[in-house]
Amino acid sequence: MIKLRHFLAEVFGVIRTLLADDSAKSTMIVGILIYSVLYPQPYVGEVLRDVPVVVIDQDKSTASRTLVREMDVTDLVDVTMSAPDMETARDAFYRRDVYGIVVIPAGFEADILASRPAPVAAYSDGSYLLIYSNVMRAVATVAGTMGAQVNYARLTAQGIDDSTARTMLSPVTVTNVSVFNPQGGYASYVIPAAFVLILQQTLLMGIGLLHAGRKPPAGRRLWATIAAYFGLYMIWVAFTQMLIPYLYSIPRTGDLVTLFLIAVPFICACIAMGFAIAMAIPWREGVVFFLVVIGMPLFFLSGISWPVEMIPDHLRTISLLVPSSTAISAFVAVDQMGATAQDVAKAIQTQIVLVVVYSALAVALSRLPHNRR
Amino acid sequence: MLVPLPLILFLMLAVIFAPGLPRDLPVAVVDLDGSTMSRQIVRMADAAADVEVVEQLASLSEARQALVAQRAYAILMIPAGMEHDLLLGQKPEVVVFSNSQFLTAGGIVGRSLSTTVSTFSAGVSLRLLEAQGIGTDRALDLITPIPVQASPLFNPSLDYIQFLLSAIMPTVMQIFICATAVLSFSREHHSPNGMPRLQRIARSPTRAILGKLLPYTFVGTFVLLLGDVVLFRFFGASFRGNIFVFFLNGFMFILACQAMGALIALIAKDTTGALGMMGLIVAPSFGFAGVSFPRFGMTLFSQIWGVIIPLTPYLQLRTDQTLRGAPLEYSLSTMAWLFAQLVVFSSLLWLMTRKTMAQTPVVIENITAEPQESKT
Repeated sequence: MIKLRHFLAEVFGVIRTLLADDSAKSTMIVGILIYSVLYPQPYVGEVLRDVPVVVIDQDKSTASRTLVREMDVTDLVDVTMSAPDMETARDAFYRRDVYGIVVIPAGFEADILASRPAPVAAYSDGSYLLIYSNVMRAVATVAGTMGAQVNYARLTAQGIDDSTARTMLSPVTVTNVSVFNPQGGYASYVIPAAFVLILQQTLLMGIGLLHAGRKPPAGRRLWATIAAYFGLYMIWVAFTQMLIPYLYSIPRTGDLVTLFLIAVPFICACIAMGFAIAMAIPWREGVVFFLVVIGMPLFFLSGISWPVEMIPDHLRTISLLVPSSTAISAFVAVDQMGATAQDVAKAIQTQIVLVVVYSALAVALSRLPHNRR
Repeated sequence: MLVPLPLILFLMLAVIFAPGLPRDLPVAVVDLDGSTMSRQIVRMADAAADVEVVEQLASLSEARQALVAQRAYAILMIPAGMEHDLLLGQKPEVVVFSNSQFLTAGGIVGRSLSTTVSTFSAGVSLRLLEAQGIGTDRALDLITPIPVQASPLFNPSLDYIQFLLSAIMPTVMQIFICATAVLSFSREHHSPNGMPRLQRIARSPTRAILGKLLPYTFVGTFVLLLGDVVLFRFFGASFRGNIFVFFLNGFMFILACQAMGALIALIAKDTTGALGMMGLIVAPSFGFAGVSFPRFGMTLFSQIWGVIIPLTPYLQLRTDQTLRGAPLEYSLSTMAWLFAQLVVFSSLLWLMTRKTMAQTPVVIENITAEPQESKT
């Protein structure tokens, strides 16, 4: 009992050391708080709405006006301008006043009435994929609905009965259901994942700031140090994985025990890696510099924004050395998709292997002459 | 250490995005019908370039498990009696469940599977209309009365190299350049009497700033150019602009980043504090720059925050000069914006440098040549 009390006193001693170091405090505490306010800001809108588009209506008929109105009504785009010709439209496009151009050629209505195909053209900016997809979905949906109405009228006019006409035009119904992130929200997609990386990077940096170029803690102090960082970061796990989604209304379905099962080995792997880096680079500024620069590229190894299947095998294998490469998608699976421990077993195993590897490495490196002073 | 790090990162990013477009992403099928027609749909789905059917599962609960365990990005569910219902004209419903938590992959496979089913449906429709005595050509016209000619301007294949890699490289460079500027200025600012010594050596703030930053300007320009050579030569990313203007933008971008980094170094209390502050400001800038989620869809705060980060105008200028090939006149206002950032950051830096250089030297016993906070 007394031993435990001594140990706890030691743990609080470590926390006091951490709070006394301005850089470590601003990285491991203040930094995460600032990030939790700042980082989600660009994405709080969740879904992209009302992309401004310009329409070139060369037909100026009832049908063409209906098409334009229907497009404007959708959430996806906003018809902010109408242009007489491509020249004017292109000018608005280059100025970034609009991000899409819809052309309704002359003869649109006449073609429909004569039962000829009445094509429309849509141009959007392939350099911004989210914008492109909005514009194309808007045009395709509206053209599809209008086309179906036109067709239905044509077939029933030929004496085909109502239900047969419907069946003929679309014999199979396709329904697309988005699961886990039903509205396809951008914040729901990027924030839970990004904060796993933020936890890893700040923890690695903090350990670097507190231990690089210094004599590593030993004995009870070492275990107290590990316990202190572990405790602090388990609080941050709860904060970033539960409170932040709540604050930004991001749906989460995760089960606490499973979250714990992935969070514990992940935080341990980060602590071990942090000590290994601190022992390897005996220069505080160097550690921070290195970690700040590699942060963003690490995100693209996680499989969240770019599928892991597309990453070449050897790079994927090397990337397993960084805890976030497997942990990010495991956290997301648990929190956002309701995965069980079994579903993320491989990621948990990888984290445990990393704990062992980096602990051994840190111990080995601590015997280097520069760490023994 | 300085030059290899961004180059290694560039190389790694290039390897990640080398395929350009995701292909053969895994999907699973729940075919409860097991008919000739349902097998035809599955074959058609598998034949699409972006999708590969990796599993046939017996139930939806197994399918859900496959989604959660990330063995598949989407499920194609064909209901029992699909063929039978179809022949009776009862409009069977085929459902595509796509994992939108993985927005890119889930979106691609979801769209691909829906297109496959629609194509199949159109095929059936065509046969039904022909059976009604409507000729093939007429029937084809009937299926899509208002065809949409969709054209992605500038990036016709919707390639991720052009869209993402081309934007990520400058983002990594911005962090790298700011960090080197922080380190080079902190060396003086955060060592005892460093700034007065700088005063003795350089004599004027302008010369001090140039002397500190210029070497890294060359390093930064060289690395940025090297990255672009890889992008445009090796990956054949399109370049439709003016090389001189493109280079000028890159140069202004590097200078603006350096001025911003150095300014942070002079404001912060110590070197690691400066690096931390720099990280907080610069690291999230990719989101604010509006490449992934566009700026016009953001809150006012995010739009304003984006305005002060050099990456935002630079990425716009890059798009103008590479993909869009916009005539120069359209880029002028954005260039003025980047230039204004450069002017503001440099002036503040000049003022801060002059102020700190003017400090009277403090006599300390153990003046060290290098900042050695790490050893304290």
